Parts: sequence; structure tokens; C-alpha cells
Amino acid sequence: MVQKPNQRGATRESIKATKHHWPTRRSFSPTKYFRQHQETLTESFMRLVSYPLASIMTVMVIAIALSLPGGLYVLLKNVQSVTDQWEQQSVITLYLFSNLEDTQALALSHRLSALDNVASVEYISKEEGLRYFEQSSGYEQIMSSLPENPLPIVLRVIPTLTVDVNTLASLQALRDQLAAQKEVEYAELDAQWLQRLANILSFGQRFVYALSVLLIVAVFLIVGNTIRMAVESRRDEVLVMKLVGATDAYIRRPFLYMGLWFGLLGGLFASLCILLLSWWVSAPAERLIELYQSGFQLQTFNADEIILCLTISALVGVVGAWIAVSRHISNIELQ
Amino acid sequence: MEIEFQRVGKKYESGQEALSQVSFHLQQGEMAFLTGHSGAGKSTLMKLMMMIERQTSGQILVDGVDLRTLSRRAIPHHRRRVGVVFQNHQLLLDRSVFHNVALPLQVSGADSQQIAKRVRAALDKVGLLDKEKYNPMALSGGEQQRVGIARAVVNKPQLLLADEPTGNLDPKLSAEIMNLFQEFNRVGVTVLVASHDLALVARMRHRVLTLSQGRMVNDGGFA
Repeated sequence: MVQKPNQRGATRESIKATKHHWPTRRSFSPTKYFRQHQETLTESFMRLVSYPLASIMTVMVIAIALSLPGGLYVLLKNVQSVTDQWEQQSVITLYLFSNLEDTQALALSHRLSALDNVASVEYISKEEGLRYFEQSSGYEQIMSSLPENPLPIVLRVIPTLTVDVNTLASLQALRDQLAAQKEVEYAELDAQWLQRLANILSFGQRFVYALSVLLIVAVFLIVGNTIRMAVESRRDEVLVMKLVGATDAYIRRPFLYMGLWFGLLGGLFASLCILLLSWWVSAPAERLIELYQSGFQLQTFNADEIILCLTISALVGVVGAWIAVSRHISNIELQ
Repeated sequence: MEIEFQRVGKKYESGQEALSQVSFHLQQGEMAFLTGHSGAGKSTLMKLMMMIERQTSGQILVDGVDLRTLSRRAIPHHRRRVGVVFQNHQLLLDRSVFHNVALPLQVSGADSQQIAKRVRAALDKVGLLDKEKYNPMALSGGEQQRVGIARAVVNKPQLLLADEPTGNLDPKLSAEIMNLFQEFNRVGVTVLVASHDLALVARMRHRVLTLSQGRMVNDGGFA
């Protein structure tokens, strides 16, 4: 390029004639870059503020969508911490084959008491069993009319472990081990309610996960749609910016920050909702706890979880905005 | 900026041929007019220079570089070296005159002090320094056009393109606008003005390129 030396604006860098490096990009300056980002950050916030009603509605929709899985998560956390504290003496009841002799049963009883994970074994003979049965069931007459005692010998095995959600699996293993003894017809671990609870909890956990995924997808869509409309309403601006040489990244930036703000504010309000809700249920919950005299403390969203919630919502906001904006900005072309 | 068109053709997908075999050479620092009836291809030619459209045949060399070799990412940087003025001013009505003019500088990442200085200099040149806080809507047609010109020159482009800049202005305002272009040309900017106002073009005594049905039918003489 032939540039006359004394012409206007000699500040412009010389243009290299090499095809691939032309036009030259100005060298990257971090201060300029961060200043631009900071300006866009405040500018995009001011833009939200300038449409307060629409912005608040979007933020609230995001907040509600996020506080639902958040609230269920807190509920689940509390239930889990209650059940974690719940300890109970566990019992494995062994029903022996009815044709077994007392001596064989006693031998088994001794063998089992010697096991490491067994605390003690209580021997209940057929006669004791019948007595218990008569006392508790009120079927004395029927029982006495039978030609012989139909009840088997029963061993009540007390394991060393107490039963709670964490030891359930090893107790079940012990039960299986005992059931495999040739003298044992049937072994029962008295922890069905706990098993059910554990199942309900894992069901609840999955339910919360699935719901979270669904609602996060919903937040993606909400942010995406809001950003799409924002781009559309600023179509003229996008066109003029393209005309005066704005890069796609530059045009995209305010919308990404808008998504960030929506996400962050939505996450913030969701956290507030959850804290408020925990506070609201705390009084009746504490009275309930007092009744059971447990050392349990009501749990709510802690700082880590609030930060996690904000991070996720901010991320969802930015990514949702990115998807919407990238698709949309390339559709707006100068004509 | 030096522009060279070599047998440039532009055929739209609809089959319509907007330009064919157009060749001309604009020297660095030259000023020229582009005339022709509406639909002759004036706007298409300008869009090719802005890389809003791409030619379907021939070569466009800008400072010796073939525009076809520029990637999509390089387009914004090319556009920053070109100022454009349109008949419909394309001013943004949600911001003041100052911020409209500042847009090209913001886009290229200038800092606010530099922006303020350059915007005021540009507004001063077009005689609108006292209107920087106005909304463009509050200005007359001629003033709006001058805001558009200030925006086109604010980042000191090497090429100034104007598409019917005097389209709906009265003769006196039109002459003023043309004089402005001449002033920018005097300080070394290459200027190309598309206009169908032949009388005005003739008075300016510059090179005239005439398009007719997509072909260059006259290059050089005054209209």
C-alpha cells in the first residue's frame, strides 16, 4: 500500500500486504479487554434495570424453577440426617427346621455365638415358643387341641452392629450368611421398615435429580427465549454494529452478560426462597423434634450450597444465552 | 485506501445479475461519484466493498489484497477501515447523538477519554457540536445525515462510502453535505459517493463512474 507520509491520521498501523495477516488485528491488551468486559457487565445490568417489570418476571420464573429442586434437596437432606441418627438394636431371627433335635440346635447356637459379628444368641425352644404364642395370640384352645407342638426352634441372633441406614447392607449380608446354614429354614432381619425408608430415600434422591435436570432445562429455555427476544428487539443496533465493524464476540457479549445476570439473580432469589421456607417450617419442625427428644438439628441451605446454586444458575444463564445468541446473531445479516 | 475492481460480477441466487464485468481503479486519496439509474447496481457495488455481499466473479483488490482471501473473522476489521453513510441514516434512536457517533470507536475498544475527544472532533467537523446530547429524532433530516457522516468518519477511515447521502435533502443542504465529503477527501480519505443527482455531481467536478444495468458504461469524464 502506498501511503502518503504526511496524510491525516498517521496513527493507523501500516497494512501488511501478506494475504493471511491482513487486515492486522491490533495487539491484545488485557487492560482494554477487562475494561470492556467491566463496562459491558454494568451496562447489561443497567439494561435489566431499565425494564424492571420484564426483568423481575424473568428472574422470578428462574428463581421458582430453581427453588423447587433446591427445596426438595433440603428436605431430603433433613430426612437423611434424621435417619442417620436413628439407631436400633438389630435382631436376626432364625427359624430352624422343625425336625431338628434340641442338641443340634444348641450346637448351632454355640457355633453362631462364636462368630465375630454376633454379640449374642438367644435360644427359644419349641415349648418357650408355644408359651409366647399362647400369651400373645389368644389361640390357647386351638393350640392345645393340636396333637403336637407345630412351632420350630427359634434362635434370636443379636449382631454386634446396630441397625441404621449405613449398616443395613452388612446386616443383610449376615442374614444371608445365617440363612445358608443347613439347620436354618428361614432367617429374618427385623429391619424392614428401615429397608423401606432407604428405598424411599433413594427414590426421593432420584426424583430430585430428575426434577433438577428438568427444571434446569426449563431455565435454559427461559433464558434462551428471553435473550432471543432481547436480540430481536435490538436488531437495528446489531445491524449498525456489524456495519461499523463489531466482531461477533463484541455483539454477543452484552447478551451473555444479560444471561449471567438473569442466572445469578435467579439463583440468588431461589436461595432466598429456600432460606425463607426453611425458616418458616423451622418452628413446627423444632416442636416435632422436641417430642422425639432427638439431638437432631434442622438443616437449611448452607454457604457452600448457596455458592453451588449461584454457580449453577449463572452457568446455565450464560450457556443458555450463548446458544440463543449464537444462533440468532448470525441470522441478522446486513442487506 | 486504494480500490481496484477487476471484471467483477455479482449474480444473486435468484438469477438476477446485479453487476457484470465491472472494472475500475480508485487511487489512494481519490474522490469519485458513482451514478446510474436506480437498480443499476450502485448499492451492490458498495456492499461488495463493505463485504456485506461477496462477488460471484472477478477480483476486488483493496490496497492490493484480494477481498476473497479474507476470512469471515477478518470482515469486522476490514469494516473498521471503511466509513459508510446511507440515505436512511441508520441512527439508533435509543441513544444520544454523541453515543451514535461513538459506536464505531466503542466497537473497536477505544477508551472513554479517547472516544469523547474523537466524537467531539467529528461532531465539530459536521457542525453539530452543540447537539451532542440530543436524540437523533429531535434533529432535522440534514442534521441527521450529518450525524451519520460524523459516525462514518469518527474512527478516521481510509475509505468513505456514501450511498445516496443527499437522497431527500434540498439542494442547499445537499451541496453542504457534498462539501463535507470534499473536505474529508482533501485530508487524504478516498471517497466514493453514489448519487443520482446528476446536476449536483456535475458541479462537484470529480471523476464520475456510471453504471447501467450492472455494467460500467462511463468512467472518467464529468457527467
